[in-house]
Amino acid sequence: MKKVNVKKMVLLAVLISQALVLSIIESWIPLPMPVPVPGIKLGLANIVSIIVIVYFGYREALAVVLIRCLLTSFFSGGITVFLFSIAGGILSTIVMSFLYKKFSNVFSIIGISISGAVMHNMGQIVMAVIVMKDIAVLGYLPVLVIAGIVTGLLVGIAANLLIKGLEKSKMTL
Amino acid sequence: MLKKGDIILVALLLVAAVTAIAGMTMFRSNSGDTEKIAVIKQGNVILKEIRLNEVGKSERITVEGNYKNIILVENRKIRFEESTCPDKVCVKTGWLTNEGDMAVCLPNQVMVKIEGVNMDVDGVTY
Repeated sequence: MKKVNVKKMVLLAVLISQALVLSIIESWIPLPMPVPVPGIKLGLANIVSIIVIVYFGYREALAVVLIRCLLTSFFSGGITVFLFSIAGGILSTIVMSFLYKKFSNVFSIIGISISGAVMHNMGQIVMAVIVMKDIAVLGYLPVLVIAGIVTGLLVGIAANLLIKGLEKSKMTL
Repeated sequence: MLKKGDIILVALLLVAAVTAIAGMTMFRSNSGDTEKIAVIKQGNVILKEIRLNEVGKSERITVEGNYKNIILVENRKIRFEESTCPDKVCVKTGWLTNEGDMAVCLPNQVMVKIEGVNMDVDGVTY
């Protein structure tokens, strides 16, 4: 029988529920948007994705994102929202894991978070093009890239502080 | 805290985004005097095409789907007036008046966009 790592399973479950709570909380925060563009979110749940990438790895991060998107769409949204968040979530998790593993010397956690946020928005736009069957939706991309830089920066700063705190507390995940 | 790669990344992304926005703005303002046609689509189905220059009385169009959108058409302009979707980005987009303007309600998969057609082209279907 395959040995189940109970500690890891519990920790990941707790992290998923935290990601879930964060994505519900962020839907209460009104974002100041100069131009109304669909798909702009703070992406607080990305803090959890970054933590999982740093402390566990890309497989665990993908699992966390998948389950989080599934559960979020149960609470709010539905199938269309699920398609958008899963496209963005998977793309951003793959890119962030890759950058963290191979290019940690070039990018800090903040840079990785920014690229994750931008990739998240790009994934959503690609999904929007598929769903709407209309290439005109790509016109939203530049604004979404700029939004991703801002939200990725904020999320990256938060994740960075969290990692520093975890290191200081000598807590092992 | 920040590394060199971070700054280069942000700079490249910003340049690309700003260039794209500038390009699109210029393309739009050069479109000149064309007839404006509002297209209402749900998924890949075109629900309605409206010649905006020829709208007399204002009209409301209801689109049902996962949610309900009410689209208001007036002379030379069109907008999402009401929607039951969660984020209401479609309503916040406001009036669409120029060629290239668009508003999207992704949860309902509804899109309204304005296309320009040269006056001498015929064969526009309703």
